[in-house]
Amino acid sequence: MRENDVIVIGAGLAGLMAAAVAVQGGKKVMVLSLGAGTLTIGGGIIDVLGYADGGKPVATPSAGLLQVGPDHPYKKIGRQAIEESIRFFKEICAAEGYPYIGSLHETQWIPTAAGTLKPTCLVPKTMDTTQLKAADHVVVLGFTALKDFYPHLITENLGKISGFSNKSFEMMMVDPELSDGRDVTALDVARWLDTPEGLKDCTEKMRKLIKPGSVVIIPPVLGTRPDYAVADSLEQALQCTLVETAAVPPSITGLRLQTMMVAYLKKLGVRFVEQALVGRSIVENGKCTAVVTAGIDRERTYYGKAFILANGGFYGGGLMAEPGHVIEPIFNLPVFAPSDHELWANADLFSSSPQPFAKIGINVDEKMRPLDADGQVALDNVFVIGRNLQGYDFCFEKSGNGVALASGYQAAMSVHGEGN
Amino acid sequence: MKKHNINPDSCTACTVCVAHCPVTAATNKFRGPKMVGPALERMRLSQEDVEPSLEYCSNCKNCDISCPSGVPISTLNMLARAKYYKTRKHSKRDYILSHSEQAAKLASMLPFGAALANMGMSMSRGMMKQIGISDKAPMPPYAKNSFVKQFKALRQQSYPDKVVFYPGCFINYNDPGVGMDFVAVMQANKYEVIVEENLVCCGSPLVVNGFLEEAEANAKTNVQILKKWTDQGIPVITCCTSCGLMLKQEYQELFHIEGVEEYAKHLYDAGEFLLELYDKGCLNTNFGTLKEQYMYHAPCHLRAQGMGLPGLELLELIPGLEVKNADAGCCGISGNYGFKDDKYDISMKIGSPLFAKLQASGLETTVSECGTCRLQIAHGAKVKTLHPMTLVRRAYEAASVKN
Repeated sequence: MRENDVIVIGAGLAGLMAAAVAVQGGKKVMVLSLGAGTLTIGGGIIDVLGYADGGKPVATPSAGLLQVGPDHPYKKIGRQAIEESIRFFKEICAAEGYPYIGSLHETQWIPTAAGTLKPTCLVPKTMDTTQLKAADHVVVLGFTALKDFYPHLITENLGKISGFSNKSFEMMMVDPELSDGRDVTALDVARWLDTPEGLKDCTEKMRKLIKPGSVVIIPPVLGTRPDYAVADSLEQALQCTLVETAAVPPSITGLRLQTMMVAYLKKLGVRFVEQALVGRSIVENGKCTAVVTAGIDRERTYYGKAFILANGGFYGGGLMAEPGHVIEPIFNLPVFAPSDHELWANADLFSSSPQPFAKIGINVDEKMRPLDADGQVALDNVFVIGRNLQGYDFCFEKSGNGVALASGYQAAMSVHGEGN
Repeated sequence: MKKHNINPDSCTACTVCVAHCPVTAATNKFRGPKMVGPALERMRLSQEDVEPSLEYCSNCKNCDISCPSGVPISTLNMLARAKYYKTRKHSKRDYILSHSEQAAKLASMLPFGAALANMGMSMSRGMMKQIGISDKAPMPPYAKNSFVKQFKALRQQSYPDKVVFYPGCFINYNDPGVGMDFVAVMQANKYEVIVEENLVCCGSPLVVNGFLEEAEANAKTNVQILKKWTDQGIPVITCCTSCGLMLKQEYQELFHIEGVEEYAKHLYDAGEFLLELYDKGCLNTNFGTLKEQYMYHAPCHLRAQGMGLPGLELLELIPGLEVKNADAGCCGISGNYGFKDDKYDISMKIGSPLFAKLQASGLETTVSECGTCRLQIAHGAKVKTLHPMTLVRRAYEAASVKN
């Protein structure tokens, strides 16, 4: 009989992080995934905490941690584990040749493709804004036919922001000559730069435009692979500083991070089962012994000692809304939601006030074990992480990947602690 | 069982499929799975909407695998292709590539037919090129004796436990050794193998070129024959991962066939079936030591089946054997896609990271379940190839030599 020490359900950042911590602790780990997670949608930057409740920016992510309410996952995880999770993540990135910069003690305000600034915590080296902040003159470089990155929009909007309004901007365009087919995305340009010919071509085209010493805002196109080969090559050849922006999906920084994490886990022997829709669990005497996938052909049973639920809340199918109540379909864990479902949503979709459903989720203890209505542990070898957790609004407070890392870390450490 | 969600409105346009589509990565002529699949399907539901780049989808299913919302994107593409050809004529090339079973049947019926056909094939590559079949693609030769012929000549030990084997066209006509290896492995596990002669092509090569009605007729024939066995609880086993995917998943997604859900429960990949025996403590684990090293390539059509990589896991049970997963994505051939003249370069570009990785390994042989993946890998990476069942058979033989 094949059995795993840890079965992780979900291959987003929370699940991948939990798998990494578990496998580094010597566990036999399996990841059951349905879809490739949302890293290529949301992006590869690690927001920890940008805004406090009420929408005021926090001074630093670290300071913000003091301000979160009692239901917030960070409150349960605790500062020490959050710090350790960040350290653990940065160590993986460094070891894999794709180091991230940043810390809890500084908010990184990074430029977006809309010309706004967005607060985050850890970013790839290509999004380091140190030189950008110091520069008097900034180049905004677009690519011909590239959708969703318009230098004039960025220049115009950044110019309205303090710290940028006193800088002079210059707009430039490079033509990657990719426009003879579909609409061009940042992914297409990044793939062009992945090839030696594309990189050479782009270097020559940029050399004609960019003076040495320039600071250049560009879309996230510096290669699809989790390394800095493209960035280093261009920066060295042109003697300039390149700053990638946050941008619309498909996210190149997210793709790099996903590629890096999955390759890292496979190298350490983590097994992945793709297209695995977990439908139900087998629970005996308060412990889960197996989860069962609902394939289009038949069910398949996967046995494990501990289970980490990381299947992405409402978006990933981890939580499902039904009239009057919200269910968690695999373990049937209690989900706390107002019984009047009219209260779940703010009818004004694009308003600047939060959506109440964002905070609906599963209540957990400090070990990430699910709790029932009386505050008792519902299943003691099941751990809930990431978007399935209640009490945080990643969208409004900018905390998505931070909660993913910290809760993934905490859950896997709890598995080690339990001797499961 | 969970039905796949054919509704295009389940697509949130998140673009994860675009990031994971190997064809999109290889050519900008393809508008990508999100646009060509669910986005345009919404248009097609109300009116005819012809999308020229639809022909670039290879049906490799990486979009389905990556979709966080469970949309069978590639199947939407195949349905759109079928709709397109409802009112249009197929090219000669697509007809030939989709009906290789007919040609193979003919060749196997005539005396020396296979040899003559192979000779003819090598001479007529120029002619094939004229109608749009690449003269560079690795065209598989016919075997001298088909699997069914060889199987009939074999004297099996009879056992109470039985399985039905679905060989599929490639094993039957091109690579019968894999089928014979499978039979030997089942015999070593005290199973008797049943082969039904009237089974037809699973329909996968038909579906990808829009011959949906013919594929449905094939599906009905196959289900009718196989259901006789599955209704008795006798498993049906495939060694070809594309046949397996078609027989159990795509039949359900594409057609309405009575009783297909119940039948699908009894369909197994060979590796998966043997691993289940292992889990029950019933697998013959009397393997000899094979002190050998191989690379492994996971066919996309296996990854799409939601059962992990059973063939690779099975090989890990053989002492001494070291098999390393190349994990470098699609090989590019995707059924008959890479045989098309205008798709050959795309297909080779898709496979190039895999070929590079296999070559860099320094190992001379790559193991993979899919017959056309093996053809493409041999062609692109210039390595030898094997099916996992061949190694399992050799491990049993190594044990009997030792005893």
